[in-house]
Amino acid sequence: MDRSLNEIEAMSRRAARGAGFDWGMAEDAGKAARWLASHGLPGPALLADLLMLNDGIPPADLAPVSLEDTWRAPSGRLCPLLAGAALSDQSAKGKVKMCDVSFPLLLLPFAAAAADHLRRPMALTWQGVRVGTDGARVQTSGASDLVTTAHAKNVVYAPAEALNDATTPSVRGEVSADAWALLSKLAHRTYAPATEASRLLGAGAGLSDND
Amino acid sequence: MIGSEEANRQPVERRPAATVMRLARLGSLHQSRLSFMRILTRRMRDENWTFSRPVFRVDDKGVGHAVYSAHGPQRTYSLIAFAHDLPANQRSDRVIAEAWDATFALFDGVPSDADIERLRRNIPLQEAGRVSARELSVSRANRSVRLWEHVVTALASGRQPDPAQIAAVGYLMRTTAVYGSGKLGAADRELIADRPEFAEPFQSEMLTVYLIRTFVRDLVQHMADTLGEGRAVRLDADIARSLGIGNSTGLGMAPFLLNHPQLFNNWIMVREEAIARVRGVIEASTDEIACFRDLLAASVRSARIWHSEHPIQIGKLAALQSDLDLLTAHVADFDFAKPSPWDRLFTWAENSLSLEGHECLASLMLEPYGSLIDGLSCCMSSDTAPHRIDGSMRLSEAQKHLTDIFGWALEIDWEAREHCARAWYVSEEKLEPRLGERFDEPIAPYEQPLAPGRDAASLHQALQAWTGGTTVAEFLLRHPEHRHTMRRLQIAVHAPYAEIRDNTISADVLPIDMLRCKLSFFGAIHFDPRSDRWVRICMFGNAPYPEELAEGDADFWPYPDLEDAGKWTGH
Repeated sequence: MDRSLNEIEAMSRRAARGAGFDWGMAEDAGKAARWLASHGLPGPALLADLLMLNDGIPPADLAPVSLEDTWRAPSGRLCPLLAGAALSDQSAKGKVKMCDVSFPLLLLPFAAAAADHLRRPMALTWQGVRVGTDGARVQTSGASDLVTTAHAKNVVYAPAEALNDATTPSVRGEVSADAWALLSKLAHRTYAPATEASRLLGAGAGLSDND
Repeated sequence: MIGSEEANRQPVERRPAATVMRLARLGSLHQSRLSFMRILTRRMRDENWTFSRPVFRVDDKGVGHAVYSAHGPQRTYSLIAFAHDLPANQRSDRVIAEAWDATFALFDGVPSDADIERLRRNIPLQEAGRVSARELSVSRANRSVRLWEHVVTALASGRQPDPAQIAAVGYLMRTTAVYGSGKLGAADRELIADRPEFAEPFQSEMLTVYLIRTFVRDLVQHMADTLGEGRAVRLDADIARSLGIGNSTGLGMAPFLLNHPQLFNNWIMVREEAIARVRGVIEASTDEIACFRDLLAASVRSARIWHSEHPIQIGKLAALQSDLDLLTAHVADFDFAKPSPWDRLFTWAENSLSLEGHECLASLMLEPYGSLIDGLSCCMSSDTAPHRIDGSMRLSEAQKHLTDIFGWALEIDWEAREHCARAWYVSEEKLEPRLGERFDEPIAPYEQPLAPGRDAASLHQALQAWTGGTTVAEFLLRHPEHRHTMRRLQIAVHAPYAEIRDNTISADVLPIDMLRCKLSFFGAIHFDPRSDRWVRICMFGNAPYPEELAEGDADFWPYPDLEDAGKWTGH
């Protein structure tokens, strides 16, 4: 279904929070899903799948052990949001290697933030896929069926040549009904069940609103 | 011109955030010439916008639809209004309801019949309905039952409505929400942000309300004409102009200021810069002084007809009325001829008036200086690009900023119940922000990140174990729970007014302070809190209608019964 980007971001943020991320990471997850959707990529669906895959697992098990050398997670499965956040925070100028990354396309918005900060194109490669970005645009080449793969053994982030034939962002996003339902289910966990007290006081009772 | 203005100014610093960003002060702000409603009416007048009503198909029961088009220099926007026949027992001002007296969408362009049919199937459903990128906002409104009946009956029987009843309510309909920015599938702000007419914040929402007001005036006349069967009279133009659109604003809006720190900074920064510029004026002209005096007198009258039943507001109103009397007396003998009159007046007020009066003076001082400050309004927006965390920042530097910006929060004992008595959450039932009692309700697991002070204190605590030379990136890798606060901190380093410097979860926090602050930037007057967490206001009351824009007062209309209205227009 055609969604506004704000809808996509808000739903993705709540879903990430519902799946156990703290608010700061949930905000990044929302921005990441939005950014990918604006490029016609299934960011919200990949996010939903990632959140279901790692539901209940502490972030520390899925984050890079160290930012030196090759990035790998203690659990053997690197979360692209946690790794991506570190990538964007650091905005490394040079090469970064990562092992056993879930849904590597979710790294792309963070590589884009780094590229934007560094003012030079950066690219991610895995299993014959190559995705370049200068922050605003995306250029995909190679094995197209593996762009949305659920797991990549090795991912490399490195400086790229100038982009040609790149896509520019659109102002709307498409999200499949299944992905939206999954995100909604996770987002629902962030809503407090209504109680009598909250019905009476939560929004502020007081004087009549109908005169 | 610019040269002479510059020669007549000396630098005055903007007030420090520690002074400005307190909730009590933010909850005492008044509309100003930088308010979003006034920016809109000025722009429409200056650019000679024209208006048309291509469709008005409403039956004898008041059911149907109408289209109102606003034609700007480059584009046309159309309000599509659906009027319904709502049984009285279904009328509720709560934002989440099932039925309304009227529902609206602002369309980008002129809608086709197919667009109208599509919206007819969706707009009245509200939360369950879907709109498209062609719609810039979605809104709904209910009648003020008592005033609506009175006005229809009076006009139908050939007489004008009772001015006292008009003044007591102030509006024929009140909106329960005006959604923009992608809500329900509408266009994102990014889609229209580069259009000059939407350069300032909330302009499409303000245009929506402005056109709703015109529709409501026409609808009440239509109902009176129908009922009166030839005996009805036209609503007097002055009475019509005094009517605005009511609005009930609740907690849904309170977190906005916390959730948009960069945008909030820009609003406050622009207002503070405007105040500093006017304080810097060395010599005030006769016209400028006369304009100020007239508007002060109008403000005194306006404060007298501002009523509220809420104990807190009653106290604040009494203070404001007494402040304005003091100010009037002070200004009567004030020597405007000595240099820097506004700075002297402002400094006097700081020590002599309550926050209400001081901030009212701040807004009043800006009025004569459109040429000096109106151009600042384009800085009030903010792009929504994600704020990248600078991971290379050393923790020692982060610590220093934390102390500078959140020093007030580090002194609070956040374990004490009264300092963390409340929690913001989103209710499953309404999907809207709520404020609850942390120790009495099971809401803590659902808490929203709306307590920046407490979270900053928590970050401060966590940093104690780390050496100052470590980078933020390394710290956040181990402590993702502080990511939200670190981002806020880094935003606030470059945006001094981004953070409210008060406890937003204390036992005595007043959400209406946040609502008042935001609504003052919209340009609302006569705030009427109905509890500590929702407030009634009136929008566009006294504003010229579309056909009056060119001749009427597109600038100073928020000052009711300003003598010789329009005298200062174009100043």
